[in-house]
Amino acid sequence: MNKEIIDIVDRIIAEKGKSVNRVIPVLQAIQLEFNYLPAEALERVCEITEITPSRIYSVSTFYSQFRHQQVGKHIIHVCVGTACHVKGAMLVYDAFRRALKLEDGCDTDADGLFTVLKVACLGCCTIAPVVQIDDITYGNLTTEKVPEVLEDFKHAMNAGFLKQKESLQYESAVKGEIRIGLGSCCVASGSAEVKSALEKTLNKNKINVNVKQVGCVGICNQVPMIEIIKAGEPTAIYTKIQAEEVRNIVLKHFKPDGFLSNLGNRIYNYVENLAIEDIPVSTHKYSVEKRDTPVSEFLDRQINIATEHRGIIKPLDIEEYIRLGGFSALRKCLFDLHPDEMIEEIKLSGLRGRGGAGFPSGIKWEMVKNAVSEEKFVICNGDEGDPGAFMDRMLLESYPFRIIEGMIIAAYAVGASRGIFYIRAEYKLAVKQILAALEICHQHNIVGSTILNSNFSFEISLFEGAGAFICGEESALIQSVEGERGFPSLRPPYPSENGLWGKPTLINNAETFSLVSWIFRNGASEFNKIGTVNSKGTKVFALAGKVNRGGLIEVPMGTTIRQIVEEIGGGIAGGKAFKAVQIGGPSGGCIPASMADIPIDYESLTLAGAMMGSGGLVVLDETDCMVDISRFFLSFTQDQSCGKCTFCRIGTQKMLEILNKICSGKGKAEDIALLEQLAIKTKQGSLCGLGKSAPNPVLSTLLYYRPEYDAHIQGHCPTGKCKDMIHYEITEDCIGCTKCAQRCPTDAIEAKPHELHTIDKEKCIKCDICKQICPTNAVIIK
Amino acid sequence: MIQLKIDNIEILVPEGTTLLKAAATAGITIPAMCYNETVINHASCMVCAVKNNITGEFLPSCEVKVQQGMNISSNSEEVVEFRKDALELLLSDHVGDCEAPCRISCPAFMDIPQMNRLIAIGNFAKALEVVKEEIALPLILGYICSAPCESACRRKQMEGAVSICQLKKYTALEDSKIANHYLPEKSLKINKEIAVIGAGMAGLTAAFHLLKLGYSCTVFDKNKKAGGALLKLTEVELPKGILDTEIEILQQFGVEFRLNSKVETEQLKNDFDAVILASGENSKESGIEFSETGYTTNQKGIFACGSVISPVKMAVKVVAQGKAAAYAVHSFLSGNLLQTKLFNSRFGKLREEEITTYLKESKPGERNEPSNGNQFGFNKEEAIAEAKRCLRCDCRKSHSCKLRIYANDYKANQLKFKFASRKSITKHFQQEKLVYEAEKCIKCGLCIEILAKNKDLTGLTYIGRGFDMHIAVPFDKSLQQAIANAADECIKTCPTAALSAFSGEDEFKINEVCE
Repeated sequence: MNKEIIDIVDRIIAEKGKSVNRVIPVLQAIQLEFNYLPAEALERVCEITEITPSRIYSVSTFYSQFRHQQVGKHIIHVCVGTACHVKGAMLVYDAFRRALKLEDGCDTDADGLFTVLKVACLGCCTIAPVVQIDDITYGNLTTEKVPEVLEDFKHAMNAGFLKQKESLQYESAVKGEIRIGLGSCCVASGSAEVKSALEKTLNKNKINVNVKQVGCVGICNQVPMIEIIKAGEPTAIYTKIQAEEVRNIVLKHFKPDGFLSNLGNRIYNYVENLAIEDIPVSTHKYSVEKRDTPVSEFLDRQINIATEHRGIIKPLDIEEYIRLGGFSALRKCLFDLHPDEMIEEIKLSGLRGRGGAGFPSGIKWEMVKNAVSEEKFVICNGDEGDPGAFMDRMLLESYPFRIIEGMIIAAYAVGASRGIFYIRAEYKLAVKQILAALEICHQHNIVGSTILNSNFSFEISLFEGAGAFICGEESALIQSVEGERGFPSLRPPYPSENGLWGKPTLINNAETFSLVSWIFRNGASEFNKIGTVNSKGTKVFALAGKVNRGGLIEVPMGTTIRQIVEEIGGGIAGGKAFKAVQIGGPSGGCIPASMADIPIDYESLTLAGAMMGSGGLVVLDETDCMVDISRFFLSFTQDQSCGKCTFCRIGTQKMLEILNKICSGKGKAEDIALLEQLAIKTKQGSLCGLGKSAPNPVLSTLLYYRPEYDAHIQGHCPTGKCKDMIHYEITEDCIGCTKCAQRCPTDAIEAKPHELHTIDKEKCIKCDICKQICPTNAVIIK
Repeated sequence: MIQLKIDNIEILVPEGTTLLKAAATAGITIPAMCYNETVINHASCMVCAVKNNITGEFLPSCEVKVQQGMNISSNSEEVVEFRKDALELLLSDHVGDCEAPCRISCPAFMDIPQMNRLIAIGNFAKALEVVKEEIALPLILGYICSAPCESACRRKQMEGAVSICQLKKYTALEDSKIANHYLPEKSLKINKEIAVIGAGMAGLTAAFHLLKLGYSCTVFDKNKKAGGALLKLTEVELPKGILDTEIEILQQFGVEFRLNSKVETEQLKNDFDAVILASGENSKESGIEFSETGYTTNQKGIFACGSVISPVKMAVKVVAQGKAAAYAVHSFLSGNLLQTKLFNSRFGKLREEEITTYLKESKPGERNEPSNGNQFGFNKEEAIAEAKRCLRCDCRKSHSCKLRIYANDYKANQLKFKFASRKSITKHFQQEKLVYEAEKCIKCGLCIEILAKNKDLTGLTYIGRGFDMHIAVPFDKSLQQAIANAADECIKTCPTAALSAFSGEDEFKINEVCE
């Protein structure tokens, strides 16, 4: 055995521990070290720990985070989440493979430089399609831009761009405040560069203002965005700014103290105008006092409870959080309320779990409280595995103290002594923020023993989920924390009596916890006033897809789909017709535009064949094929099924096979009946929530879009999305510019200057580049 | 104690009892595959599903515990359909043959692979016993059978089909040379007499099987000699001595011959408990009409088989019909239902890479031809060498596989969910003790639990998730490094033939790996 590997593994084990339940953190550490899991390293783990070969293989092959094969130096993660899918993620994926000349069955290029992998969802849905190369995220990609992205990345690597750090030096009096959002979307859109440009400008010009990094502002489609607050001036918001524009903006508001210097002209981000016609590519100023701007429309129709003080508070500034009322609810609970009163308050508020099923939180808390045990646990579920959802990520990144406060309150109410944040490892920033926030809380005696000098003690640790959608399911999540593959177990018994390590365990979603402190500060009745009869309060949605303004939104329950799409979202992008919304991700369904006036609550969505789910809301337009959407979700659930139950393991695969058949034009009329029958049986025959809800996308599209299925059976995909059923053609509008011919990767178009071009169908691989690049829109899909 | 209803029967059982066990106390049997009492395992196969009539849910009865006031259906049409769907899904992902293609293509359903295995170890007498389970006239067929089995033989893809017909002939010839011919054991004697008209292949076969079933049987023929159409064959096609020996063996077995006698069917109908018409082509009688299936006629107690119904060219088909007619008579007289063929999983042609896998269990080499010429057949060494070329296509647990048994009980259709291409077959051997065929696995994980419980070597593990999840040895090691002491328990517990004993279900060891 390689001595070096042994030393590294031994060090990791010394740090992470030898017990069986440490298997996931150990594997994560090994992968961090080697970029994959070398067999030798795993064998060493088995030698020196209680972890058996059977366990280490079972676990390491279950979670998608882990790799057993060596990969390239850099990893290209192509997001194939819902929002990216509907915006052509698969074409982008194919384009990367082509650009790197990858052969079938091989994911790493010949030089061993890049490995191309698909990832279920990066949670950057508003700038779809998204690709992450190592730590750099590129948004709004098209197949055509792929070579540029690769070039840019190589450039950035060579320049050591990412390592660059600037520090601010203040000399004169503070002149104002500049806020910059640094949520994942913002960073992906280039706000890190904007920030660094900002710091440079301020430094070089010796301008002294407070630069405040705020969490996600929610207006993800308008980022990078900065807000300038200066006494005597209305607050100004600049959207979609680019690094090189920062200097001019800053100088417009603040007088420089020194001489000017030019910034480098490298443009890092790839974000362009996100199709709001009336906004120029960048540098658009809005006054917050001015109505009817995209920003105010987006924000004004929302109620902020989970996202209270959005765009104002700095995620890790505990003083500010406290100044704005933070931890007052915790104080009130610890010193003024009895746990029974607290549970009564939660019941009165009408709060229901925001993770999907909508179980009444008060009852859940009460069950855990009533369970008799020396030890109890509270787990914050931040696993958010649904493609097309990013609520938990943003809440965890932007409001870590609020979620921690909610958790401690819950722990006090149910009598738990230990808490665990369960967060997907892919959410690097969220993990970082929560760890930092926990550390700060420790220093302030908010987490740990005798919290705020009460006699209540509560420790919180963090567990990084290793990439399995099923681990959002409570019993599978517990298995995962215990170091097992995420096989759900049959319920009852429920985690509230028999949870982590057999102890009573309260598991709530991150969003649920983020609502708790507000309820205690403002009173249950205030919360109860908001919403519908059975669904109280607000719901955070990740609005994405074909909408003009996507982002994280928080709306009162009962808001209609139409209000969200048309008012908050600003309608459908590109003047296309609104077709449907996909709510609830792989467990949800598609609700057609004709039903857009239903008010959103738990019951109405279930009745309409969808599901609240965790809150992914992907808007679809007339160009989206519903059979393809249904196939997309099935391929996701099939891959994410734990594999245990027959109906889910084989049923989802068989449904996918039928859908593949239909989408490739080989479907027969009887296939639709069999698909429906299988969908119903899979719902009935699966033991956990994943399997029971996996057929929902199929059933809801069958319910509302049957004619589209029938059209496919007759050999025609009405939207032209199903690759096998379409071909590209060039119309008379061709001006013979040869652009398409130059870019065609398979020479399917011959360059004939000033002549009408044609496409060789035999050679065409339907990569869509010609259509994207044609200046006269002469390339059409038939 | 908990009170509940299963199929409207009131049941009282202690708290914590599973529905499966609660049902058993009322004599209700529920099928179960992924469940085993000796290990902790979670429900997965859903073959044991029952319906909770109050909530409308389908529950895995092997794991769900009884609750006060439950109202459960275990045998409604809906539950049966549900289990059938679960089985059909499992079968759609089950790549394996219950019976070998050669046996399936044999009209008489002869257990060819078993015969081959016995010949391979030199146990010719036992091999003939296997042959005579289904075939009444192996000696004759050894000369005139057109051997459809050899067209189906998978070895055909690799160095030529196994010479099955010659092997069968060899066992019969060996038997013909000894004084005490092999005579099958007869079932308990039934005091009923059957008349068979016609001493051709169809009639002789019917008589043989009727005797085996315990009946008395008399064969009538208008000719002086028994043999029917066989008598017209040339000495080269069928030596007279062969026919004579076969008839002699049948006589020894107890067939009564009334040769040289013209008989009236009507008369025989009165004198015998049943009559089988096997008088060959062009001997139809007025007033008797043949049914299209089942070898019955419009007259109660009169049956028919062979060319009398319509001309049959293939000799082995005639033999198959004679047997079927015998069983039809048995069903008529005993009131027992006719046994239909068992469910049979099939996967079709071997792929290139699978041939290599299959060859592991056979000897390489071209098809052997008898050195003395086809007429005289193989010598002992040739027979053994040829039998060793058999690929062992049949399943090692064809009798005990629960998937087959339940698929049969629930009349499951393996093709219902077949849309995409199948997985490729793999076989792993643990010395000459255990075989692991991953594509027959239903992923219940019982073996993983058993091996972990016994702390056996590295054990087995789940790999991957979703549809691709499978069970394998960690670190890509061999089965030798995974399983030792608990092998037998794994074999016994595995609900399918994913894990099976190397020697199959037989008591005697008749296999070897030829790697």
